[in-house]
Amino acid sequence: MPPTPTKIKLAAGNNTLAIHWSDGHESVYPYRYLRGKCPCATCGEEAPVPEQAIGGLPILGQKPLHPERADLVGRYALQIYWSDGHSSGIYAFTHLRALCPCPECTALREVAEASD
Amino acid sequence: MSSQVSPQDVVNALRVVKDPNVGRDIVTLGYVKELEVGDSRVSFALQLTAPAGPARDQLVAQARAAVSALGVANVQVQVVEQAPARTAGHSLIPQVRHTIAIASGKGGVGKSTVAANLAVALNRAGAKVGLMDTDVYGPSVPVLMGGTGVPSVVEGRIEPPEEYGIKIMSMAFFLPKDEAVIWRGPMLHKTIQQFLGDVRWGELDYLLMDMPPGTGDIQLSLSQSIPLTGAVIVSTPQDLALSVASKAIAMFQKLNVPILGVVENMSYHVCRQCGHREEIFGHGGAREAAKKLNYAFLGEIPLDMSIREQSDSGKPVALDDSTIYGKAFQEVAEALVSQIVVADSKTGDEISIE
Repeated sequence: MPPTPTKIKLAAGNNTLAIHWSDGHESVYPYRYLRGKCPCATCGEEAPVPEQAIGGLPILGQKPLHPERADLVGRYALQIYWSDGHSSGIYAFTHLRALCPCPECTALREVAEASD
Repeated sequence: MSSQVSPQDVVNALRVVKDPNVGRDIVTLGYVKELEVGDSRVSFALQLTAPAGPARDQLVAQARAAVSALGVANVQVQVVEQAPARTAGHSLIPQVRHTIAIASGKGGVGKSTVAANLAVALNRAGAKVGLMDTDVYGPSVPVLMGGTGVPSVVEGRIEPPEEYGIKIMSMAFFLPKDEAVIWRGPMLHKTIQQFLGDVRWGELDYLLMDMPPGTGDIQLSLSQSIPLTGAVIVSTPQDLALSVASKAIAMFQKLNVPILGVVENMSYHVCRQCGHREEIFGHGGAREAAKKLNYAFLGEIPLDMSIREQSDSGKPVALDDSTIYGKAFQEVAEALVSQIVVADSKTGDEISIE
């Protein structure tokens, strides 16, 4: 069986969400990174938000963001209720693990991508 | 002495220990938890539902002796009294200890018959059992269970009728006999949620869920709404059924639902006239498939007219375990309970969100 979370901390400090995994690994996700990886159909279709302000105007959607709560979905996923009102993304544990931003996992991903 | 015992051996050994209050064995009653089997070391917890008094020490001693008899040097038994159910706080059915989906992929392999008979067999072994018919389009549980009872409303929630001591719920209760359900997904989802949350299941050891064929809305709704203990795959032995069954298995794997084992239904037919054994769909295909995929094989049920007749007349064959058919279901139920204990020991603690 693939690793599953044992503990999920919605407010792990510094605008991050942390997951302790059954294999001992720990993942720390910045909120905006995780929100950007929302797997729901609507987000998949969304146009990318430009990184830079256009003509000096503030970009909508760059308000502070945090998860208001989260529920387990069966025994395979997490549903996060974001403060921007969005909650339709069901983050499968395998998806969350694949998104782990730690240097080790990132390096492994880069190796996998390079060999593709 | 190095012990080569498997978790399965331990579970089988523990079957001889009976709770004197109930007169049934502690494995079927779901007392055995957190089983860990190491090199010449076995540890497990006994989860006792009621304050057991003097019976408690006797149970612990008997359980310890049963495992020691396997040649295990170090046996550790921990007693947990009235531990909360495994399911998380937001669960729709907090008083149900195990939820088991009976699924197949392909239709017509006898899921409902197997589900009804397993429910009866588990109940006869002393467990509190519920049977939920999640096949909204083609509900069959009330007929199989002799459905004379009807649900009532108590305190704004649905009180399920009991047949042979088993609480049952089905869409058939809410429809005129020849009416059809013509619904899209969201309605099905709502029904499943209601069958879980708005039905007074009460305290149950096992809630069996008879699934419709396929890998669609209902399967997904159920797997998302509650953390299922596991799934039992029913298949007939021929290649076609097995290849569809493997799709159901793939779905449960994706949703992280443990596969508790495979049951081969319509395994063979023995002619009543001459006693010749005819393997109509081939035989042993499900056993081989289970072995190849490394899942437990829970047993085989023969194809026989008496099973069909008794099913149609609402008297599940498992009610009488003096027949080979009743006995076959009893054995599948026992194998299933063993697998539930093993699965429980593998799934870790509840996931905490803070």
